[in-house]
Amino acid sequence: MQVRLTINGQPHELDVAPHRSLADVLRTDLAMTGTKVACGEGTCGTCTVLLDGRAVLSCLTLASACDGAELATVEGSTPLLERLRAAFTAHDGFQCGFCTPGQLMSAVALLERTPQPSRAEIRTAMAGNLCRCGAYEGIEQAVAAAAEAG
Amino acid sequence: MTAKLVKTEAVVEGRTEVRWTLVEEDDTPEFEDGAATRPIGEPTPRITARARTTGSARFTVDIALPGLLEAAVLRSPHANARVTSLDLDAARAVPGVRCVLGPGEGPEHDDSPLSDTPAFAGAAIAAVAADSADAADAAIAALAPEYEVLGFVSTLDEAFEKQDFLVDPTEHERGDPDAALAAAEVTVEATYTAPAQLHNSLEPHAAVADWREDGLTVWSSTQAIYDARATVAEAFGLDPERVRIICEFMGGGFGSKFGVGPQGILAAELSRRTQRPVRLVNSRREENVAAGFRTPAKMEYTIGASKDGRLQAVEASAVMGMGTGGWAFPVLEPVKSVYACPNLRLMVAPVRQNLGPSVAFRAPGVMEGTFGFEQALDELAEKIGIDPLELRRLNHSESDPEDGKPYTSKRLLECYDRAAELAGWEGRDALRGEGRIRRGMGAAGQYWWGGGGPPAYAEVRVGKAARPAVTVGLQDLGTGTMTACAVIASERLGIPVDSITVYAGDTSRMGHGPFSGGSMTLASIAPAVRSAAHHVRTEILGLASEMFEIAASDLTLEDGEVRSVDGTLREPITEVTGKLGNAWISGSGSRGPNPAGMNVNTFGCQIAQVAVDTGTGAVTVERVVAVHDIGRVVNPMGARSQVMGGILQGLGFALMEERVVDPTTGTVVNAGLEDYKVPTIADLPEVICEFVGEPDPHLKLGLKGLGEPPVIPTPGAIGNALAHALGVRLREAPYTPRRVLEALGA
Repeated sequence: MQVRLTINGQPHELDVAPHRSLADVLRTDLAMTGTKVACGEGTCGTCTVLLDGRAVLSCLTLASACDGAELATVEGSTPLLERLRAAFTAHDGFQCGFCTPGQLMSAVALLERTPQPSRAEIRTAMAGNLCRCGAYEGIEQAVAAAAEAG
Repeated sequence: MTAKLVKTEAVVEGRTEVRWTLVEEDDTPEFEDGAATRPIGEPTPRITARARTTGSARFTVDIALPGLLEAAVLRSPHANARVTSLDLDAARAVPGVRCVLGPGEGPEHDDSPLSDTPAFAGAAIAAVAADSADAADAAIAALAPEYEVLGFVSTLDEAFEKQDFLVDPTEHERGDPDAALAAAEVTVEATYTAPAQLHNSLEPHAAVADWREDGLTVWSSTQAIYDARATVAEAFGLDPERVRIICEFMGGGFGSKFGVGPQGILAAELSRRTQRPVRLVNSRREENVAAGFRTPAKMEYTIGASKDGRLQAVEASAVMGMGTGGWAFPVLEPVKSVYACPNLRLMVAPVRQNLGPSVAFRAPGVMEGTFGFEQALDELAEKIGIDPLELRRLNHSESDPEDGKPYTSKRLLECYDRAAELAGWEGRDALRGEGRIRRGMGAAGQYWWGGGGPPAYAEVRVGKAARPAVTVGLQDLGTGTMTACAVIASERLGIPVDSITVYAGDTSRMGHGPFSGGSMTLASIAPAVRSAAHHVRTEILGLASEMFEIAASDLTLEDGEVRSVDGTLREPITEVTGKLGNAWISGSGSRGPNPAGMNVNTFGCQIAQVAVDTGTGAVTVERVVAVHDIGRVVNPMGARSQVMGGILQGLGFALMEERVVDPTTGTVVNAGLEDYKVPTIADLPEVICEFVGEPDPHLKLGLKGLGEPPVIPTPGAIGNALAHALGVRLREAPYTPRRVLEALGA
């Protein structure tokens, strides 16, 4: 079916089968492989993207249900995302970096909603994004630092 | 440069390997005492940060080539079975299917990863390659397998009772343990049970294979590109030089990704048959039933000591649940090698079970063995009425208690002292409290290898723009090895880290490098990188000397400039390199052997503080103090991250991680991340991390490894803290609320 999407400000028209996930369509049809899939069943947060400003798990979201939506992924460039990139770098908010795209998008969603979050709010907002390398300390500090710089 | 073949010994996760290695003469000067080493020792952000935060970093799962086929695997749902019917033709008839491999089919010179007698739930039976993932899934469904279900063994106790050993049991004795135990003034007996921990690297095991007339390329999420190359070359009867392994970015491995794995072999065979590139990626559930686990272990200790706390004898036995594969990880090493104890008997029984193959998991054997033994020692301390850290100091061994060899360095006593100071150890009893929330503090020591060694080669090139390229034959699984290589090169070249590119993860680039494991990678490669960079430095200074008519010995490279030591000359390095046109200056370096007759080990001590809700049984780790002896620290920022990662994986093991197998079916019931719990950001404790970091005087660059050390003491320290808090000892991890409440008799 025909789906119109605006991704990081760019319009796209796609023909997708109704059962396909947004993550799969991004990665396969659009070759936007920045969005990663680690579990494929909505339990790890790795595939998080923003759908009309809301953080969603793209592995559990049907692309066909997103017609007309505004999508933001890690490939985008906004002042907030750049701030977060710099803060994740300065605070070593990752090791292997496989979870990082999802971490960044969850952080964008948080800071757009709550520009000055408390440490507890950061932990609550980021608790659905697993990092097996254990970079949580850097992630928490990076989100706090990006909020402060904003 | 003269090169020679030398015979070297390297200890890899407790196994000594003797190798012949090509080593170049190394004229790189050692660091002088007190001399500036920057940026070595300064916090340096990862050079890969931009790629990793923009989504441009390409992981194996991201590789898409023209004509790519997607592969899928049929896996057994039964713990033990015989396939009685499999409709290969129906699968081949599914539209879009290009190839179907049945049981026994695979590369000519290796066993097929596919079997019609699957010996665990998750064992591979057949594989398909198709135009799309949907078509591949449809083909798997069309196979319509039928099974004769057979009996199985899943629990440790059952497997031990059957005496079915995957690896021969071993026994090791020192002195006369029977007599010493009989004569001991104090004895403690304790049994500890460690869970099967699942790696859950967020990037699954994956391979993309592209078989062409002129050779085979495999993108592999691997910790060992050269081992991967050797395996593939042998399996398919190819010259290794015709096989190229690429691993640009890697999403974690933690020990589970050595070689190419069955993914690489199957993808290559499917590509060979279809003459198309093929991608095979494990699902999360496939990861957790078939890609390995930390061996669960039941460890029994009998410790005999004098009444003042000196160890006289230890008898220890361990039953390790190997599943259907793996090697006998050194689970009793902490008993053998950490403390002075004249009499020992150690017995290890690695048993076979109808579960997937075990594989190394960050400090395999040693972490779970430390978890048990460091707690048994606390039980002894309690029985004698002595401070647990004092007991450890009392039994300290300056040389290796097994072979008597000296260590290149051992600062374990300093680790105890500093950790105690940072944690407020002296005041720990005042923490405990009497209400619903109880607190406690516990310590554990750590012993690991990590000296690294040859073979490891590096090449450094500098062209016209003075943006050096460092090429190393290794892979970075996320630890920061590439950044550390840039730091090492920067010190010699006087060119900032952010101007340096590190090329790694590709066997076609050059040089043989170490695998990423055993905490050996950086200690192996760093001296080679420094030597290569030094050769380039010497050439640049030689050219500068001619250009500026100043003796090379009076010139230095710093902050991107050629400077004279008297301060009269400061010119950008590009003044020299700018004359190169399209040529470059290159230098190579190799890793020499470690000193003979000495053991290289890392040591450390962690102290955990926990809070226990006696109403719910929930345990919170509030703080961990980590003090490790790893010699020189190359990048304190990366080092702290390694420690954080180790502590969090150790915390997971202690409190929440456990593969659960249904004893009635032999299947893993928590193979998804919904049910298999790993730590989240909400579990993050405060961490105080220090290194007692004098460079090791006997090692090149003075550095030892750090990958494994921080995970080793964490579970034992948490267990000891929990016992301190509750006055009750829990001997089976993970310490879930249910087990805590049971221990409290609630």
